[in-house]
Formats: sequence, structure tokens, C-alpha cells
Amino acid sequence: MANGKNPKSSDRPIRVLLAKPAIDGHDRGVYVLARAFRDAGMEVIYPGLLPTPEEIIRIAIDEDVDVIAISLLNGSHVTIFKKVMELLKKNRVQGIAVVGGGIIPDADKPRLEKMGVSGNYGPGTPMSEIIAHIRKRAGEARSKRW
Amino acid sequence: MVTQSNSRAKALAEGLRRGDRASIARCISMAEDRPEEFSELISGIYDPKKMPRVIGVTGPPGCGKSTLISQIAPLLSASGHRLGIIAIDASSPFTGGSFLGNRIRMEGTISSGDIFMRSIATRGTKGGLTASIMGALITLSCAGFDLVIVESVGAGQADVDILDISSTVLLVLAPGLGDEIQAMKAGTMEIADIFVVNKADLPGADQSKRAIMAYLSTMQGRTPKKLASTSCTTKGGIKELVGLIKEHEDQVDTGPFIERAFKTEVNRIAKEILSKRVDELSGNESGNLSSMLKSGIDPYSAAVKLLGRAKRL
Ligand SMILES: Nc1nc2c(ncn2[C@@H]2O[C@H](COP(=O)(O)OP(=O)(O)O)[C@@H](O)[C@H]2O)c(=O)[nH]1
Ligand SMILES: [Mg+2]
Repeated sequence: MANGKNPKSSDRPIRVLLAKPAIDGHDRGVYVLARAFRDAGMEVIYPGLLPTPEEIIRIAIDEDVDVIAISLLNGSHVTIFKKVMELLKKNRVQGIAVVGGGIIPDADKPRLEKMGVSGNYGPGTPMSEIIAHIRKRAGEARSKRW
Repeated sequence: MVTQSNSRAKALAEGLRRGDRASIARCISMAEDRPEEFSELISGIYDPKKMPRVIGVTGPPGCGKSTLISQIAPLLSASGHRLGIIAIDASSPFTGGSFLGNRIRMEGTISSGDIFMRSIATRGTKGGLTASIMGALITLSCAGFDLVIVESVGAGQADVDILDISSTVLLVLAPGLGDEIQAMKAGTMEIADIFVVNKADLPGADQSKRAIMAYLSTMQGRTPKKLASTSCTTKGGIKELVGLIKEHEDQVDTGPFIERAFKTEVNRIAKEILSKRVDELSGNESGNLSSMLKSGIDPYSAAVKLLGRAKRL
């Protein structure tokens, strides 16, 4: 871009909505993620703490993101992810991938995967792995979005 | 191919006219990426008579631009405007990534869904705006938005491009940032229609206000500037600021504003297209430059020749 070239669509930075829809004291962890995604060349939309599933969907649509990354630490994951996936379907949103992370018991992961929520990384996962996964899901999502 | 892109552009235009948010969002993305079908889309939806008024908000980082916008937005929306907000953040020149955080301050007051808010990264554009801004404004106009607040990057000195697209420019300052004098030097003072001393609840606000008033008194023979003092904490002065914005919008002669916006944006877009074309032509694959090298032509004449070819888009 330094040469003034208009990026091709494929050069379009990945747009990620980073959401943390539950209280767990502080949002330091989410800023670490935000910085890592930004440094990986992504455009990170961070709407602040506690968006509801409805707000997450509205923001994801308005910001035309490729990926919704949801971080949950307090055990409400199944309900919240389910609601998000339902709302995506209800609003006929195509081509936005949902990726999860936080403290998610192994027992819940197959259920989340089945809903279409992938990743589901726990604390201590190398950032490079998370970023690679988001890149992959963003690529898939874009090919579905006309 | 052509028919497919044709029908896409058509479907998007229809979506816009219905006010469909996904269509608005996609069109703004297209203004950023400019795929081939964008030109078809934009020529189909552009209506010069419908272009929205733009309130440009600039000022140093941390002075409270986003917070202030979140407080004036509902008042403007309630007074009958269909309001859009575009908030610009810088992209990293190294990674191309960006942290788009203006929503943090705005979510609380725009969540009703009447207001459309979009975060845009500069993607290498300097001057506080982005190359996509005109496309975003045209998109919003087609979707029925008549007023758009644009928060610029707030990069100080270079941050004067906001003037080109705004019918009202707000320069926001705050005590304690040490930026009042900076801003005066940088030339942003000249472009502002309304000066806002925000964080009036903090010590030093009066001093900032006096400094600005002293400065304004030296600017004779120009359009009169307005001065507001606000606190987003106490909500003091917010209504008065909205009053000043409306007053200025009523007074402003939109002719020059529309002309300036059109001319500067055409210039900006043309440069971008030409620059892209020159890059393509001088790229390795085309062999243009290799054959010129062999022909023994001097570099200056070669550049002129290349430009001649670039004209055939
Ligand atoms: N005390 C005080 N703080 C404010 C006021 N307006 C905004 N802030 C705070 O200033 C900081 C920066 O605000 P923000 O809107 O993000 O500034 P921007 O970078 O100019 O968009 C935030 O912590 C706000 O809460 C105000 O009127 N008074
Ligand atoms: Mg801001």
C-alpha cells in the first residue's frame, strides 16, 4: 500500500469483531488478543465490554466482518453461542465465521463445533495457532459471502 | 461474469434503497476494496442532490471525540435526521492491521439501531480521512441518510482533509493535553467552524477556553467561529453544542462545500487509479520496462511513455 496501490479484494485485511459478552472482572485479556490480531494485519473491531448477542450480530453486520471472535470465561458459553448462531441464521447472515475461546470445558466443545463455533481455545493456546485458525475461517467465510 | 456482477450491483442498490444494513455494510466494504463491479454500483446509486451533510470531528487523540459524538448523536437523530457515523482509525504502516476502538465509547447510545455506525481504517491514506470516504457517503445517501458525522483520525497537523467533505467542522480540544497551542500552529484552527473545549469538568478548561478566545480575536475578516464548552461527564453544554451545529448548518452555503468535496475527491481517486495503473504497467510481468530498457530510451522519456500507456485504462 505504500506504493499507493489499491489493494485487491484478496488483500483486504481480515476484519474481526472481538466480543467479550460476560463479566469476569477485567478486560485485559481481550486487549492482548486485540493487539495480537492487529499485529497480524487484521482490522479489529472492539465494541467494549458486555455486548449482548443481539448487539454482536448488529455490529458484525454493520461492520461487515469476516469473523466474530467471542471470548468467554464464565461458563455461559453454550447459551451465548447458541443465541449468536440462532440470530445469524434468523438474520440470514452468510459468510461470517464464529470462533470461540476462553474457559470452555472439553465436554462442551463437540456441541459448540456442531453449532458451527470453531476454535474454542483455552488459556495458554499459542497466539500463532489462534491467528492461523482465524485466517482459515475468514478465508472460508469470504468465499461464501458473495 | 458481466451479468453476474451486474445483478450483484443491482441487488445491492436495491438493498440500499430498502435501507438494508447488510447491503450498506457491503457497499462500504466495496468502497474500500473497489472491486470491478464497484464502478457500476456507484454510478447507479450516485445522486448529487441527495448527498448528506457532513459534520467532521477532529482533534487530538484522547480529547473525547468519540464520547462527544456518542452524546450529540441521539439529539441529532431525535431532531429528525437519519444519522450515520463513520469513525476512522489509523492502520499500521507495517502490518496493515488496525485497532478500531471508537465503538467502545459509542455503543451505549447508538444501540437502538436507528443510527448506522461504521469503523474505517485508513489503509495507508494520509490526511486523517480515507480514500473510501466518498463511496461510504454515497452509499449512506442512497440508503436515506441525510446527515453523517465523521470522526477523523486526529493526527494533528496532517488532519485537515476533513474540511474537504464537511459542511461543519468541529475541532475538539481538552485541558491537560497540551495540544491547544499545538493545534493553533498546525493549521487545524483555520479549518474549524466550531471549537469545542471538552472535559470542561477538569481543571484548566477555562484556561484552554481563554487561549482559544484570544486566538480567535486575532482572526479578523474570516467567517465567524463558534466556541462551545462541554463535559461528557456532567453532560453540560451538550445541548448548546447541538444548537451551535444546527445554527451553523442553517447558515452554511452548501454550494462551495459540495464543489470542494467533488473536486478533491475526484483528484484523490484519479491519483489512486493512475498510481495503481503505473504500478501494473511497470510490474515485471508486463515487460514494458524491459523492452524500453533494450530500446535505449532514457528514463525520463520512458516515464512519459509509460504514462501515455497508463491513460488507456
Ligand atoms: N473527565 C472527562 N473525561 C472525558 C470527557 N469526555 C471524554 N472523556 C474521557 O476521555 C477519554 C478519551 O475519550 P475518547 O472519546 O475515546 O477520545 P477520542 O480519542 O478523542 O475519541 C475517555 O476515557 C473518556 O471517557 C469529559 O467531558 N470529561
Ligand atoms: Mg475516538
